[in-house]
Amino acid sequence: MSLQILLNGISTGAVYSLIAIGFALVFNILKFSNFSHGATMTASAFIAYFLVASKGWGLAPTLLCSALSGAIIGLIGEFIGFRRILLNHSAPTYFFVSSITLGTLYEGLVTLKTGTNFYVYPNFFDVATVKIFDAVVSKENIIILAISAVALIILAFIIQKTSIGRQIRAVSFDRDTAKLMGINSTLIIQVVFAISGFFGGLAGCFLGIKFTLTSTLGSLVVKGFIASVIGGLGSLTGAVIGAMLLGIMEALFLSLWGSGWATIASFALMLVFLLVRPQGIAGSNVQEKA
Amino acid sequence: MKLFLYVLTQVCITLVSVCGIYILTGLTGMFSLGSAAFMAIGAYVSGLLVLKAGLNMYAAFAAAIIFSVGIGYVIGFPIVRLRRDYISLVTLGFGESIAQLILLLSQFTGGAFGLIGVPRRVNVWFTLISAVIVIAITAFFKTSKFGRQCIAVKSDELAAQAMGINASRVKMTAFLMSCALTSFAGCLYAFYVGYVGPTDFGWKKSADWVIMVFFGGVNSLTGSIFGGAFLTFLPQYMQALNKYRYIVYAVLVLIILNFKPNGVFGEWELSPRNLKRLFSPKKNRREDV
Repeated sequence: MSLQILLNGISTGAVYSLIAIGFALVFNILKFSNFSHGATMTASAFIAYFLVASKGWGLAPTLLCSALSGAIIGLIGEFIGFRRILLNHSAPTYFFVSSITLGTLYEGLVTLKTGTNFYVYPNFFDVATVKIFDAVVSKENIIILAISAVALIILAFIIQKTSIGRQIRAVSFDRDTAKLMGINSTLIIQVVFAISGFFGGLAGCFLGIKFTLTSTLGSLVVKGFIASVIGGLGSLTGAVIGAMLLGIMEALFLSLWGSGWATIASFALMLVFLLVRPQGIAGSNVQEKA
Repeated sequence: MKLFLYVLTQVCITLVSVCGIYILTGLTGMFSLGSAAFMAIGAYVSGLLVLKAGLNMYAAFAAAIIFSVGIGYVIGFPIVRLRRDYISLVTLGFGESIAQLILLLSQFTGGAFGLIGVPRRVNVWFTLISAVIVIAITAFFKTSKFGRQCIAVKSDELAAQAMGINASRVKMTAFLMSCALTSFAGCLYAFYVGYVGPTDFGWKKSADWVIMVFFGGVNSLTGSIFGGAFLTFLPQYMQALNKYRYIVYAVLVLIILNFKPNGVFGEWELSPRNLKRLFSPKKNRREDV
């Protein structure tokens, strides 16, 4: 495997890990798979395109706008989609349907504005590629890798070291007990949705830079899902490991067989993982409670 | 009238797949976001068998259904033992892979152009009769021993296992039945429209079906059928609405989920006994339907 494939793979894996983290955070706290995550990515990437990038402001404002709109969309989604279900103590399946519905809603709204047209972010970099030893790597991949790494490290710090992170972990572990201990669990859930949306927005913007912006950009969220299944559903570390592994494998498949087969191969990889090691790499198996 | 027949056919085809989703989601509590991929398999396999292999249409239908049940077994085997979230994640990935596969195997499937020239041998009566038969089978299944096992697994898997129900087998059977029904819907679709396109079967379509089931009431077959029929009729007759179709769907369902989480019909089923109770004087009416 040449260095170039490896670097491209790690960079793709970094974007996948942003998606997987956003997904795993919500999965951890409410124990359901948030299918509106993909559409959140699409919507925030488009908001950033229309508000910032199309006016010719550079990369940093675009990223920031995308991430913040992701966070706001996450908060709105929590309010209209999940709050009442949570307060009513309805069955977890309703979370699931709610998230699918929110996904269709966001995607419908985006499609209303854009139709099925393609949009391309303006070129953010003067020099397209850099040379590292004998590998030619596109600059956007390096930048994406760096920003993702910083974002993930900051998140790890917040979750492990700060008070709000401790509260998030407590609510993830047991919502009711955490509430009895004086934690405002509604607020914590809002925070988690905002963080998840923030990461979704970042990932959406990166995907838009790497590929093109279409209203079906969100379907790439499936890579994040595969990554979190490989890494172990509900584990944040596992999500990152799985995403990196998936990114590198995909870069390898891509160079061997082309992009269509790479998608199918990564799906087959997930099936094999579920057969051999269903708890994922990290090994935290979330069991259905009795 | 022509429009009405067209819409009626669409409704019937949708109802066949909605029955499949009802068995999977309503009875067993699993969510599949790849059901549309099984519809694609049904449509493509049956279409190809008739076009390229010159098979009889009914034989092609049977072959397509058996084929997609086989695929369903391969997909379902690793996941029925696990938490139910996995089935949605895996089927979503499966749907995306099938979409890619259709594009890649373009020498068979026609790639992005779609499969053209499937004989249009299915008419409105054929779909209507199929839908009625499928609904009858589903209603029968709901009240059978198997259906009650499914409901037990849905409410509490652990307790169901303690009562001696083989939960993973029940889940697998429900999944395979749903595969069979959706791929049958695909067969009907291919032979009614005469054309199969690769973009008709995204996860949005599967999500649509789940939304239909939930709109009418996830615990009630009557509700699911009503949801499927209503949400298919509505946009066809309000062309102005068609652009806003998904948004209207989503808003309707969000309202229902927030304020009446059991759906329009709740647990109410259409049956002579329940009808009689509905129209009987108030004193005989009981709340537990």
